[in-house]
Amino acid sequence: MPISKETYNALEAVVGEKYISDDPAICEGYRSGPGGYEAGCGYERVMTTIPQIVILPRNTEEVQRIVRICNRYKVPYVPYSTGFYGPRSHCHVENELLIDLKRLNDYEIDEKHLYAVVGTGVIYSPFQEEAFKHGGYGIIGGGGAQASVIANLIGDGWSPLSNRVGLPHRRILGTELVLPDGELVRMGSLAVGDDPFWGDGPGPDLRGLLRGFTGLRGCLGIVTKMAVKLLPFQPERLEPTGIAPNTGLKLPEKRVKWINFQMPTKEAQVKGMLAIGHAEVGGAVTKVPLFWRALAKAECKEEFWDLWGKENEDTIKNFFILRVLLIGFTSEEQMEYDERVVTDIMTELGGIPRPTKPTDESWLKNADSAGMWLMTGSYMSVDYIIESMSQATVHGESYARVKKGYTPPLMPDYGDPGWFQSFEMGHQGYSEFLIYWDQDEDTSGVDQFYVDTSKMNIKERFYTSLLGPHQPMYLTGPKYGPNYHLFMLKVKDEFDPLWVCHPPVPLAHDEFVERAPWMKKMKDWESPKELPMPKW
Amino acid sequence: MPKDRFDTPKKPVALDVTDLSNFAYDMSRCIKCKGCYWVEHTYMPGVRFSTRCPSNVWNDFDAYGAFGKCRIGLAVLEGKLQWTPKLLEIIYADPLCGACDVGCKRNLDLEIELTLEALRIRAVKDGAGPMPAHKKVADNIASVHNHFGAPPANRKKWITKGIKVADKAETLYFAGCSASYRNPEIAQATARILNGSGTPFMMLSDERCCGNMVYSVGMIDQAREIAKTNIEMVRATGAGRLVTACAECYRTWKVDYPKMLDIPTSQLGFDVVHLVEYADEALIAGKLKLTKPQDTRMTYHDSCGISRLADPWTPWKGTRGWMGMVEPRLKRRRGTTGLYAQPRNLLGAIPGAQVVEMPRIRENAFCCAAGRGTKAAFPDLADSSAKLRLEEVREVGAEVLVSACPWCKNNFGQAVRENGDAVKVMDISEVILASM
Repeated sequence: MPISKETYNALEAVVGEKYISDDPAICEGYRSGPGGYEAGCGYERVMTTIPQIVILPRNTEEVQRIVRICNRYKVPYVPYSTGFYGPRSHCHVENELLIDLKRLNDYEIDEKHLYAVVGTGVIYSPFQEEAFKHGGYGIIGGGGAQASVIANLIGDGWSPLSNRVGLPHRRILGTELVLPDGELVRMGSLAVGDDPFWGDGPGPDLRGLLRGFTGLRGCLGIVTKMAVKLLPFQPERLEPTGIAPNTGLKLPEKRVKWINFQMPTKEAQVKGMLAIGHAEVGGAVTKVPLFWRALAKAECKEEFWDLWGKENEDTIKNFFILRVLLIGFTSEEQMEYDERVVTDIMTELGGIPRPTKPTDESWLKNADSAGMWLMTGSYMSVDYIIESMSQATVHGESYARVKKGYTPPLMPDYGDPGWFQSFEMGHQGYSEFLIYWDQDEDTSGVDQFYVDTSKMNIKERFYTSLLGPHQPMYLTGPKYGPNYHLFMLKVKDEFDPLWVCHPPVPLAHDEFVERAPWMKKMKDWESPKELPMPKW
Repeated sequence: MPKDRFDTPKKPVALDVTDLSNFAYDMSRCIKCKGCYWVEHTYMPGVRFSTRCPSNVWNDFDAYGAFGKCRIGLAVLEGKLQWTPKLLEIIYADPLCGACDVGCKRNLDLEIELTLEALRIRAVKDGAGPMPAHKKVADNIASVHNHFGAPPANRKKWITKGIKVADKAETLYFAGCSASYRNPEIAQATARILNGSGTPFMMLSDERCCGNMVYSVGMIDQAREIAKTNIEMVRATGAGRLVTACAECYRTWKVDYPKMLDIPTSQLGFDVVHLVEYADEALIAGKLKLTKPQDTRMTYHDSCGISRLADPWTPWKGTRGWMGMVEPRLKRRRGTTGLYAQPRNLLGAIPGAQVVEMPRIRENAFCCAAGRGTKAAFPDLADSSAKLRLEEVREVGAEVLVSACPWCKNNFGQAVRENGDAVKVMDISEVILASM
């Protein structure tokens, strides 16, 4: 049912005329695709639409008032920070309200205790620059410096910089969450006072509810403010240099340095990660997939394919680069020590240092991530896991085997087994599998591969991150739990009995499988005839 | 055909702004990373001064950013959106400053600037655009060959005694409408710099508007006629070099004229040079001597027309096939040959001058939003953008704000007066002259 004029007036009274619109051109600007993360495939085409109304609140109180109006008038809504995450963060039903949170862009830093309090509209690159100015640094997620800090931390929130503090929820401190009915929950130390310095608070840790493994994609409320832990950094400036597109941060060579090591085998690569973690040195320790190197060198997609076309299954199988970031957190002498430790480890393992640029283009400010789309125009990370190092480092090979059957439409990558790295000083291993395709081709294979990887994870007993809103919950839930889906739906029903908050998430992927004819053949699991949620 | 790929048919495509469908690929591959909106992350100065899109700062809805316009452009192409006043505002409340184009091309290879130009040309073709204020200016240009509707006879009134204009010379000085009618100080300073550095210059006997605004708002047929006429006039003089001190004229001559005529910049028949290029070369060659001290703290604003929009034009047409790859190979314009160093060299050579940089410079500069017809149709956008830029001037404690475009100068000047700021706004021609 279209949102009524009465509802529009009520919403306008909250934000003022300037910050609400139902104009068709304005609303068209909020279309998910066709380009973007996880866009250019069936899920985006089948499941997303444009809003009927867009509203831009300024603070938590306005968000609460808007959400209460939505509950009163039964208006579905979706919270939206940057829109970068693709279809999952856009409208899924007709006559929906899109709550654009970009104006919640306040920022405050506590230099002494090293945390920053941010609103939903704050993205990583200014966050990181402010942290640098005050002696700290943050972990910019793999999604890039353009990701909302809050959205990334309640969704994913990791990168090679996670070597020291892997699991993102440990960086989430005091947080404000507007529940689907408009009630405000203050989490962590904010539950007992106004200082957001600590993430744990009285009662159960609600960060688990908020995040799960990779978040609930906005179906359990709206986070409007969060204190985020920073880590201590070294004091010298990372000077930006160059003119676009060739820009980078010049590293103060005695305090920050990347080194690429050519390892003789994969086994040596993994052992290197473990040993460096055990020695508790390094700011980042990661494998480098071969196509990233081609991407870094290419200025256009044609150049990328020139470079990539020279590779083959053998070059992939024999390419083992271990990239290490050394940071002299406390002193030059500490970095010298770290480098000697790493050199000793590499000598033992046969790792050979390769010439490495004295600049950072990627991780410290993560300016490069948008380049993921250069090669083919469409991209997504079809899965990521945080497991033990022994599991994470073989996970990608399972993906590569399944992927062969879906190439094309997926990009030919000669069996590349994806990316893995060390988290938490080797106590955890991280694996991510990225896929690329051209959205102008027949993309049904992309959607089918996505669900097929879930089945592969179940079969091979990998604890995959994308259990909830990313995969059909009636497929994954019974296998992981065995009642994960039922528990999730109980939580959803409890907090959002009307299902106004981002419907039909968390059952969106289940609905997609039912609606898309090319997905019928993938469905070999049981689900109710009617999915247990209200219809919009 | 290898089994790991599709046999994708190749489709023709061209960098031709008269057909919006040429940019369907570009619009459909926008990933909403907002590289078009944010200062490039490597150079991000912090939570203040974090953006470089005046349109999307002026209006927060996504539609006003290039990422929103890409989605809107596709809807226009597919006939899903009708032209309305709001849609016209969205596409015209935009100085086409190139920040989005350069920002996107930091990581991708999409033609955002050309897409936005094509969208305007489509609006005009459909009978919807441009804005009424633009039509008024276009009428002025058509009737009396200048932006302001001023008497053509007054165009050279700025030439005072002591300024030597040659009958024939290798260098032709193109003053432009603003310098001729509104900023005679810029024309006079430029002429004196040329005279004072030993470079004779001539002028067109019948200098006319370059047509910057006419092209920029999508009136391409009229703009093309202006281009043809102006190019012929310059070629007829035998000039080897056209010098201008207006960044808008510079971009129009160097980039938009060849674009409209489907020729490369190198085939115009003469070089197009901005005053800062000329003066920098003259300084290095010892022909220009900056000896008079200026004991002042100054900062430089990178005018868009001579920075990120300044790469020369090369026409291209070809095909697009598998994975979106184009043939023949295309070297994209990314603003890398913008005139970033030259003005800084010049200001740095002035004795006593302390030159400080604002947080957003070079390809990250925040456009004043006066140019390309924006101030005429959206004066509050130009006003607010200039005032936001002045916050940076205050941040670095500069006493003088220097730019290389009369549009920038006038817009900043107005904002300074309204604010009551203790900042002097000068064109770089005036600054150079003051040190000669």
